[in-house]
Amino acid sequence: MSICTDSFVPAASAMAKLYGFPAYEFATMPHPLASLDQEQIDSCARELMPQLLRILGVEP
Amino acid sequence: MATAVQGVPPDATDSGAHDSGSPKVDAPDVRAPEVDAPEFDAPEFDAPEFDAPEFDAPDIDAGEIRAAMEYYARQQWTDGLPVVPVTESYLTEFLARTSRDPSDVVLAMPHLNRECTVRLAAINAAMAGCLPEYFPVVLAAWDALVGEGYVTRAIWQSTTGTAPLLIVNGPVRNQIGLNSAGNVFGSGFRANATIGRSIRLTAINVFGLHPHLLDQATQGTPAKYSACIAENEEASPWEPLHVQYGFDPAESTVTAMVIRSCVHIEARHTQQPEQLGLDIAGTIARTGAMVHETTSATVVLSPEHARVFASAGWSKQDVRQFLYDRAASSRADLAAVGKDAISRNTRWRLPAGHPDALPADESFDPVPALNSPGAVQVMVAGASNAGVSAVIESLGARGNPPSIAKVEGTVKVSSTA
Repeated sequence: MSICTDSFVPAASAMAKLYGFPAYEFATMPHPLASLDQEQIDSCARELMPQLLRILGVEP
Repeated sequence: MATAVQGVPPDATDSGAHDSGSPKVDAPDVRAPEVDAPEFDAPEFDAPEFDAPEFDAPDIDAGEIRAAMEYYARQQWTDGLPVVPVTESYLTEFLARTSRDPSDVVLAMPHLNRECTVRLAAINAAMAGCLPEYFPVVLAAWDALVGEGYVTRAIWQSTTGTAPLLIVNGPVRNQIGLNSAGNVFGSGFRANATIGRSIRLTAINVFGLHPHLLDQATQGTPAKYSACIAENEEASPWEPLHVQYGFDPAESTVTAMVIRSCVHIEARHTQQPEQLGLDIAGTIARTGAMVHETTSATVVLSPEHARVFASAGWSKQDVRQFLYDRAASSRADLAAVGKDAISRNTRWRLPAGHPDALPADESFDPVPALNSPGAVQVMVAGASNAGVSAVIESLGARGNPPSIAKVEGTVKVSSTA
């Protein structure tokens, strides 16, 4: 499972295509990440969970 | 009009020897397109009179030249500027300058599943505008880049936006007309411009590092077009860079490093080495450049500044030691910009109190910007006409010797030079 910020979707997609997985699905989150504090990171993680569970195929 | 131009001849279309991801030397249909010249009213002005130079322009079909250039542009085999069309016959002239097999690999990037061969390096050197006799220098540049090591770790895809800097030493500088004097970082010299450009074109055409895709540079640097300088050995009071690292003065070398910035030092007022040294040390230690725990730099002294040090009896090593001793920031200054601690995982700078921060060692203040005198290189380049120098802010090796490769092959100026 790969998570990237939305700014990196073009580069991540190019790498996936390069490796022969053009439809590889990333979980994405808003940019930026590096400057967030702990509370903001925790919030991002919570917001990401539905995406992660969907891509992993976890049934509701 | 005669059609003497041989843009990309049909004999280049079916070689079948192209590597994947490479610019193929296939032939555009170079029949001259219809060119609709826009009509416009030319402004009237009094043209200054001057002695026109004698032109010996070949009689060619400009439309065919443009068709070939536009073909390359459509394939995106370019850094944005026009490239030189390459034929198999022209390529042969480049390959004749080296004993290496065209299929030899000069650089592999396994994470991209791509590699650059001698042939591909030659194609891109020719496209960049190199003359065949430059090719041994281009190959040495690749050797030095491989030895430097950062390139294979995806640094050319990084948001930091680095560029390779090539520094040429030895007799080849004068044999192929590399500029080491005035405007050394600027334009105007074919060898400098095109050798550096050949690396960028290869990055784009062979490794597929197109901006906005695999090249994620946030801003990049103008050096990404081309960054190739020569040391002004003749105007230096010290031994040249390559001799410092064990090469013979009669040998020619290319030193490669990964750079981000070229910061200029303006100090015309002083003949005191300490004043000049502090000016340079302060630039090396600027907090904006402090990404990691320490940094590295190459100080490119103008001949005038080099003489300020040498006239006071300072060796190159003395300069490096002084810069190591004095390139530092106070803890308060680092704290003010939130760079007073080190990440336990990445060793990048971040604020004390960050969950990833290592406990601060406050036993030393100020905090050195360099980890050793070896983290700063000193060389001489530029004109001997002002107290102007530069600090090249580099990534990569901090304290280890720079990566230097010997120029091998036939560098013999041809009649086309």
